[in-house]
Amino acid sequence: MSEENPPPGKQKQIAISEFFEKNKHFLGFDSLQRSLITAVKEAVDNSLDACEEERILPDIKVEINRLKGDQLEMISQDNGPGIPRGAIEHVFGKFLLGSRFHAIRQTRGQQGIGITGVVMYSQLTTGGKTSVISKVKEDSSAVYVDLGIDTRKNKAIKSGERRDVWIDEVTGEEVAQGLKIRTEMKAKYQRGRQSVYQYLRMTSIVNPHASISLVVRDRGGEVIEEGHWPRTTDRLPTVVKEIKPHPHGIHLGTLQRMLREAEERKMTSFLRHNFSGVSMRAARDILGKSELEESRQPRRIKAEEAQRVLDCFQKVKLLNPPTDCLSPIEDLLIKKGLSKAIDSRFASTVTREPRVSQGNPFQIEVGLVFGGDMAADGPIEILRFANRVPLMYQQGGCLLTKAIEAVDWKRYGLDQPGGKGIPKGPAAVLVHLASTNVQFTSEAKEAVATNEEVLEEIRRALLEVGRGLKGHLKKSSQRKKAREKFELINIILPEISKKSSEILDREEPDLAPVITQIMNAVFCEEELGWDSGRKLATCSITVFNYTARARAYTLLAKWPESESVRMEDNPLGGRKEARGLWAWRLDTLDPGSSATISFTLSGLSKGDWNDTEIFFRGNGDIIGANRIDEKLLEEMRNREALDAAVEEVQSKEDAVVASLSERVDYPDKIDSREGPEPDLGSLVIDQGVDE
Amino acid sequence: MSSSRSKPKEDVIEALHNVAAEMHDKMLKGVAPTMTLPVRTKTNIGFDDRLGVYKYGKKKTVRDATSLGSARQLLRSLHVTEFIEEMINSGKSSTLREMYYISEAWGNGKFHSQNESNNLAEDLEIVTKCLREDFKLRPEEDGARIIGNVTFEERNRRGDWMRINCRDDVGDSGYGVPYNVESEKLRLVDEDIDFVMAIETGGMFDRLIENGFDEEARCALIHLKGQPARSTRRIMRRMSDEWGKPIVVFTDCDPWSFRIFASIAYGAIKTAHISEYLATKGAIYLGITADDILAYDLPSDDLSKQDTGALEAELSDPRFSSGWWQQQIELMQELGKKSEQQSLAKYGLDFVTDTYLPEKLGHPDVGLGY
Repeated sequence: MSEENPPPGKQKQIAISEFFEKNKHFLGFDSLQRSLITAVKEAVDNSLDACEEERILPDIKVEINRLKGDQLEMISQDNGPGIPRGAIEHVFGKFLLGSRFHAIRQTRGQQGIGITGVVMYSQLTTGGKTSVISKVKEDSSAVYVDLGIDTRKNKAIKSGERRDVWIDEVTGEEVAQGLKIRTEMKAKYQRGRQSVYQYLRMTSIVNPHASISLVVRDRGGEVIEEGHWPRTTDRLPTVVKEIKPHPHGIHLGTLQRMLREAEERKMTSFLRHNFSGVSMRAARDILGKSELEESRQPRRIKAEEAQRVLDCFQKVKLLNPPTDCLSPIEDLLIKKGLSKAIDSRFASTVTREPRVSQGNPFQIEVGLVFGGDMAADGPIEILRFANRVPLMYQQGGCLLTKAIEAVDWKRYGLDQPGGKGIPKGPAAVLVHLASTNVQFTSEAKEAVATNEEVLEEIRRALLEVGRGLKGHLKKSSQRKKAREKFELINIILPEISKKSSEILDREEPDLAPVITQIMNAVFCEEELGWDSGRKLATCSITVFNYTARARAYTLLAKWPESESVRMEDNPLGGRKEARGLWAWRLDTLDPGSSATISFTLSGLSKGDWNDTEIFFRGNGDIIGANRIDEKLLEEMRNREALDAAVEEVQSKEDAVVASLSERVDYPDKIDSREGPEPDLGSLVIDQGVDE
Repeated sequence: MSSSRSKPKEDVIEALHNVAAEMHDKMLKGVAPTMTLPVRTKTNIGFDDRLGVYKYGKKKTVRDATSLGSARQLLRSLHVTEFIEEMINSGKSSTLREMYYISEAWGNGKFHSQNESNNLAEDLEIVTKCLREDFKLRPEEDGARIIGNVTFEERNRRGDWMRINCRDDVGDSGYGVPYNVESEKLRLVDEDIDFVMAIETGGMFDRLIENGFDEEARCALIHLKGQPARSTRRIMRRMSDEWGKPIVVFTDCDPWSFRIFASIAYGAIKTAHISEYLATKGAIYLGITADDILAYDLPSDDLSKQDTGALEAELSDPRFSSGWWQQQIELMQELGKKSEQQSLAKYGLDFVTDTYLPEKLGHPDVGLGY
């Protein structure tokens, strides 16, 4: 985005319609199907951004009605802050070139040219105006106005402006605040992978705080497609901070412009004030290496000197830029978003720590859902997002797709013909790249450009969810086997015994030793449920000893421990082994006997917790549980202790820079010292034992 | 071989009880119940010199209740045993299909497809060395049709013996062979023929009748209707045993027809446990042979992929281990062709009865001295 320097004020203005016509392929208006998607996208992105800024939970309604010929009517309505009367023509009438480019943060509205493009496209294809209703909370009435564009002056033309009370057509109530746009255009509604429906569905996945609905009507008024994606969380995305550019991500042109416009009198203050990650010492270091005097005036720096400064940015040790300018969706919310849009049996999500590539902070999130009613025979569904915006075109050329293809999915239980490429199976994979500077392959901004660091980060995240899937599949097959065995010994075997005894007119045999011989194993079964009366997530774990010997075990269960999630009932007591890992010591299990552990959790919603993992300590394997790896557990504990220590240090030092450096460097320290981060998912040592 | 192979009902019930007892005894010993039965593939059939047919070998498979599927099979066997015992005691019988529907009431022992129930009935036959007739189970399958100057006595529903001459007392469709052709149901009374000819297809059967071949050649014609039913094979065996008449088999020239002949002459793999009742060891393969395709320049079709696979499998089938069969199969592989019986019509409708069959029957290899 930093590439798009705003045209200097005096630059010769080409006719805006000509510009539009020439560039419509990357403005998203190159085909009748895509024009409609782009129009919906501009409207919805604006609504989401506006609501987010004003901390409003968005309700967005999109309506599409077929008109005569290949014309359509598109209506979008939100409950956002509305646009004050005076700003309407600016928002809808001007190409917003340059308004955002000084601020570096993660925003949606970095694609296309905004809603003005929609007004323009409508005017060019139908000659019609775009009607806007805007209601600001503070005003007593709403503004109604029709907009067109003066293509020579790059200015909106207003007509029919009036003020009136805005009554919602559906509810019949007065609308307190919001924005409604109605526009006609030459376009085509299409179903499938590249459709408005798919775009809104994907948008709802990464915006779980939004309620979105869609109605599409044919000419006669009958509904031909409908979608409703209600919000699944009331938590708005975190407010992102604007940050200054980092020296590692800057280009010569930008540096020169910054120098030219600088108000600082000395180079040292220029460097410190205009860039993130540059301390006084670093500023001196840069200038020393560039052989420039610290007191030089920025405005007087020549081109070749600027180039030297740029080169020296790479030679000096700089702090990483802060990463709180990013707004990840976060694990649980991705899970909720995915399960809202896709009915599946298993969901695994990962939000990686923020990283920095070439001075740009970025963060990777991935989600994988499996099973349910997804088609099993085709390639998996790929859901790509950049800064919460769905990417719907150019899947093949996108870094996010390449990262998926770079994983050996066979190891994780998905079919991958030829051992490479997009895997097959009843699954969907979501990849979200959040960054202050997403590099696309082209102006169309539909495919993320190649970047080794980002690719590697996505790959690692995918491996994590892949491990989750593998565990899930292994567990399902174990569970199926266990269920079958239980049916065998509890239902079929007693019937065989009864029937054969009847036929032969004999006594029924004692089945206990037969059961032991058939099972010859210890089984563990867990069941997660929901106590709707008490709003508690419930878990019960039962261990059956079907061996000929008495057994003694300690069982450990994974649970989603956090500040808000607490254990409520836990009659067996036990103790905490690590964060999110609880242990219970069981009494000796005699042959043929069983024991049950149960506990409940507060702070979760129904469906939040649908997967746990059971570990054990003791002699002899348990089918349905894994032996715990004590070494990894120990490492985890150490890491927790370190975490706690870091937190303590952080709360003591309020110096922002110090805490930032601590936080940004921290994951690297761990990585280099201990290899891959230990996590509960890898606590298993003998993976293959029950297979 | 007795003319009746039916077992007294006490023996049948005892044999079935032995199956239940194997399970019960295992459970008393504290181990999973089992059912032991022979392996039923071509790797486990061998030529029984004494009986002159192919029988199951010594390979046994033990079905034990350590997996859910096998345990269900055991439970089903017990339900079937109980059901058969009831039928024997009440003098009823049922079709295999009826048993499949009756199993709906067996809860965890019910069948999920008719194939399952048919296979289990066969399993029990093999284990108990009884026949499904002993179990009072009837097949759905259609018996053969016979035309020719032979006379049977069949006991009708009223229990009376009815005398039927298969030339004079039947219509064009011939005499329909009942599912039970044992002596308590059917008697072979009289004949005036030189041999019995089994024919694969209905078209050829009708052609021979229209041309009056049965009288002209002094033979009984049997329409096999594809893979012959047990009763069809059994009645041929009885005609061979009791009347001493040669059985000649006239089929298409394709790998599946070879298997029809093998099931008549040597026994079928699925029913190898009762080969000594069903197979007629002296049966002769008349044609159409691979040689005939060349000798008579018959219209032919290319072998399909399945055909090729079937031929390949037959090369290693012990029933086709003789030099003549190996040579025929290899020739067919070489030609890559197969031919139908009716391709003889190339030379006119009477060619088969005027030329082909007389030549084949008179060939020294056939040895009928026709």
